[in-house]
Amino acid sequence: MSENPFEVLKEDMENEEVYLKVNAMHRVRVVATLLGSDKIKSQLIPYFETLLKKEDDEVLFALAEELGNIAQIIPNQSSCLLALLEQLAGFDETVVREQAVRSITIVCGFLGDNEIANTIVPMIIRLASNDTNFTCRVSAVSLMCPLYARAGNQKEKIRQKFTELCSEETPMVRRAVATKIGEIAQFMDKIHVIQDLIPVLKQLCQDEQDQVRLLCMESLMNIAKILNSGENKTNILPLIIQSAEDKSWRVRLALSKIFADLAEAVGKEIADSSLIQIFSNLLKDTECDVRVIAVKSLARFIKFVSPEKLNLIVPLLQLLSKDPFSQVKQNACEVIGQIASLLPKEYSQSKLQQYLIDLMADDNQDVRRNAAKSAGQFAAAIGPEALNQFVPFLKKCMDDPKWRVRKETMQTIIQLALTVKNPDVFNKQLESVFVMFLKDRAAEVRSMGLSQLPALIATYKQEWAVGNFLSKCVETLSKDVGSLYRINALYAIQQISFAVDGPVAQDRLWPIVQKCLKDTVPNIRFVSIRVAKSLSKKIDNQQTLNQIKQAINELIEDPDRDVKFYAQEALQN
Amino acid sequence: MQRTANSKQTPTGRPQAQPTTNTQQTRAPPQMIQNMARVTDPKHVPKEIRDQFLKKIHFCSQPYDFNDDTKNVKEKQERSQYLQELFDLLKEPNFVANLVVPHLDLIIEMIEKNIFRPLPILKKTATNGEIGMEDDDQLIDPAWTHLQPVYEYFLQLIVNEQPDVKSLKIFITHSFIQEFLELFDSEEPREREYLKNILHRLYAKLVPRRKMIRKAINDCFYTLIHETYKFNGAAELLDILASIISGFAVPLREEHVIFFKTVIIPLHKVQTCQFYHEQLLRCSMLFLSKDPTLATFLVEGLLRYWPFANSAKEVMFLNELLEVLEVCEISKLEPLIPKLFKRLIKCIAGPHLQVADRAMCFFENDYFLTILKSYKPFTFPLLVPVIAQIADTHWHKVLQESLNALKTILKEIDYQAFDKALNNKDPKYLYIIQDAKNQKKDRQKIEEKWKNLTKQALQKNPNFKEPIVPYSDTHIVGEHNGLNNGNITII
Repeated sequence: MSENPFEVLKEDMENEEVYLKVNAMHRVRVVATLLGSDKIKSQLIPYFETLLKKEDDEVLFALAEELGNIAQIIPNQSSCLLALLEQLAGFDETVVREQAVRSITIVCGFLGDNEIANTIVPMIIRLASNDTNFTCRVSAVSLMCPLYARAGNQKEKIRQKFTELCSEETPMVRRAVATKIGEIAQFMDKIHVIQDLIPVLKQLCQDEQDQVRLLCMESLMNIAKILNSGENKTNILPLIIQSAEDKSWRVRLALSKIFADLAEAVGKEIADSSLIQIFSNLLKDTECDVRVIAVKSLARFIKFVSPEKLNLIVPLLQLLSKDPFSQVKQNACEVIGQIASLLPKEYSQSKLQQYLIDLMADDNQDVRRNAAKSAGQFAAAIGPEALNQFVPFLKKCMDDPKWRVRKETMQTIIQLALTVKNPDVFNKQLESVFVMFLKDRAAEVRSMGLSQLPALIATYKQEWAVGNFLSKCVETLSKDVGSLYRINALYAIQQISFAVDGPVAQDRLWPIVQKCLKDTVPNIRFVSIRVAKSLSKKIDNQQTLNQIKQAINELIEDPDRDVKFYAQEALQN
Repeated sequence: MQRTANSKQTPTGRPQAQPTTNTQQTRAPPQMIQNMARVTDPKHVPKEIRDQFLKKIHFCSQPYDFNDDTKNVKEKQERSQYLQELFDLLKEPNFVANLVVPHLDLIIEMIEKNIFRPLPILKKTATNGEIGMEDDDQLIDPAWTHLQPVYEYFLQLIVNEQPDVKSLKIFITHSFIQEFLELFDSEEPREREYLKNILHRLYAKLVPRRKMIRKAINDCFYTLIHETYKFNGAAELLDILASIISGFAVPLREEHVIFFKTVIIPLHKVQTCQFYHEQLLRCSMLFLSKDPTLATFLVEGLLRYWPFANSAKEVMFLNELLEVLEVCEISKLEPLIPKLFKRLIKCIAGPHLQVADRAMCFFENDYFLTILKSYKPFTFPLLVPVIAQIADTHWHKVLQESLNALKTILKEIDYQAFDKALNNKDPKYLYIIQDAKNQKKDRQKIEEKWKNLTKQALQKNPNFKEPIVPYSDTHIVGEHNGLNNGNITII
């Protein structure tokens, strides 16, 4: 049975349900493969023409996409699809024309430079000159970017048209140009960027619509990337200054968002000499949303300026850390944490430390959380001497009513302990805070401490583990403080057991676990079984091993089902 | 519907004059007016009075942070007082002619400096386009009390007859109108009301600027349709348009027909359509009253942009559809009949009672029944089997009753055609009310063909990539309908 593929397609397209037609449209590549290029031209394309007028947008969207696929089937003759795509690029529905533009780009990939210059460029110009439909002009703008580089001697025409469209009255076209101007610049020779694009960019940056000005920001950054320092100074810098003072907060917000990238693009020299000052103003903006985003960028911005210039930023941090808006403070914490490693130690200690300590006691839990996090970075940058001052406050944070703050603090402490690697400092300062995880009310905090225990034991060795730390565990176990805390302590002992050698496990750990096997709470009994089991893997002494076996054996008859289960499981293997 | 309160309009669409908020009428006339009263020859305003006037205008042009009530308290008070004085001056024709009109440039500049501002940050309200949601947390711009007098002044200035078209025209430029229109996106309904009234008066007064204003409004709507999908002032702009449309001469100029096709119809597809649907409907009906032949385009548009998964909007569309159908010439409807009746059947058979009920209302309309009768060869085979089946099985009693009533109506129209359609062994359109599984059975044959063809294509070209179809019986929302295509802003 051999079906005529074209007839099948037509039959399926007769269907009245739109979604079935969309499905059928997506199968067009089957038809195209079987028909071959001649019949595609003589049958399929005329048929598509008839669809343009009557079909729904969904079907046309599928058609626009599939035309791109057909192009891949007949790469050498794909230019026959252009007439259809050109029409689709002028359609009202945004998704249809955007898809058409994408497919045209695919087709162009198969065309020679000659064809680009002789067919595509005139097509773009045609679309760009369509006065009745702004949609054509918008599509033309999107097409100019990918194809400019291949336009050969027609480049000038495209440039001219592009700049012409910048002065359009229709705001939709100006918005399209503002979005794409940075992109097309990437394909142009520098001289044309400066001669042709910069003047229109200037104009767009002063557009009466804040939407247009806003879209320019990203383009500004992209253009700055391809210019050298001197060119940026004369061309881009004035625009940055102007935008930072824009009356619309939306524009200032967009600028704040990209400020770090902009600083990277224009280079250190300009960043040092001019951007810091501009950025300071954004950080002091009257609109809190602008400040929030500006501070967020600040964390990255500080990497692109010289360290000696940073002291211009420091006074601002005082302001930001006291901002009425908590999100600003939250982001400021991050900056303080990061800037400390870039500034001279004494300087950050004398200027910034107090802000961070104040933020750790903020009313807002997210601020406290970020402050606790940054305190770690800060202290690590300054070195052990800073810990003296921080530890009391970290301790306070461990008493915070919000567990998220406590969890962050615990992580900070652990990170510090792992970076400092100094037993003296650890024993004196950090350990007392760390062991607070044993008594924390929130499971998240307890398991946080537990999960990092192996790393800490590896750093501070057996002496600490079976010394101070074990005594804390024993203390928790002996005090009647709820079974969950005891379970946690037992798991901590299990962690210790992995790190110590046989005799220590036998003499120090086993007696503790032995006691716990007789606990009144069933859950503790079965956790003890598991811990005892892991102890038994370390211990060589047959007598102790028998003791362990004996103790577990007694639990086989336990009234609790789960305890029985774990006891049996432990004895089996 | 929340917008009803906003449209305090006479049937002609002309906004009524705002009651002026002159609360201080009892106080002694301000010093400036007293001084002016002493002037004998109004043609020559003494320099000191002119200076005073200019000083006050200048003072009112200063920007203050109106969001913070604690800052510049004294200046703000003074400013309010000056604005009141300037406002009072507008009531004295002499002063208007000799002080206001000669300094119109400064006055307009003062107004611009006050009202042309970046709109305050819009807090996200819970209204994501759902009707019936309480809008109790509507935001009030704290600056509004300070802006209101400026708007009032502007309105009165335009209403006043002395500043004539010629002198006003110079200031109402393209960029002025664009900035002015951007303000319509304000969240503050009272501000939008003023904007509407002012723009309306400007349009009425400045005949040479009309075309430009219309074009700027068009651009606003294009942006709404193609880019942003949300614009707070759409209802107000449509209100203005309604009165503009009612002034159009018949026959309509081509420009206006294009406007109908490229703005009015596509406005129906915007997600936030319910916020301005009432006004949109009014504009549509006005257009149709000028040119009934446009009705078929609107019917086509409605069927094309039929809402998906939004029953409240569906009810609106049904209301509009019935209204528009009544204007249609029956013979012109022919190409749309299948789509129209299938849509109605889907609504009736759908899971939403209100939608079904609205769709049933169509059959109470005489004109609609005439349409139904005129296309009997198509409508009966479609309607009868489907109606007969859901009349037996519908879950809601009231609807079941009206379905049975509809059956009777259809039977009365043409007994023979009814019987013939009912006894049809293989009703073509029953699939509309069937579930996806049954539909799958119907598609088996053609799916088989596609499978064969795909195999052949694979033989012909080993690199052939099998197509992925976006819809399946388990996955009825296509992939490109997802929210991640960048074209949909979630509000």
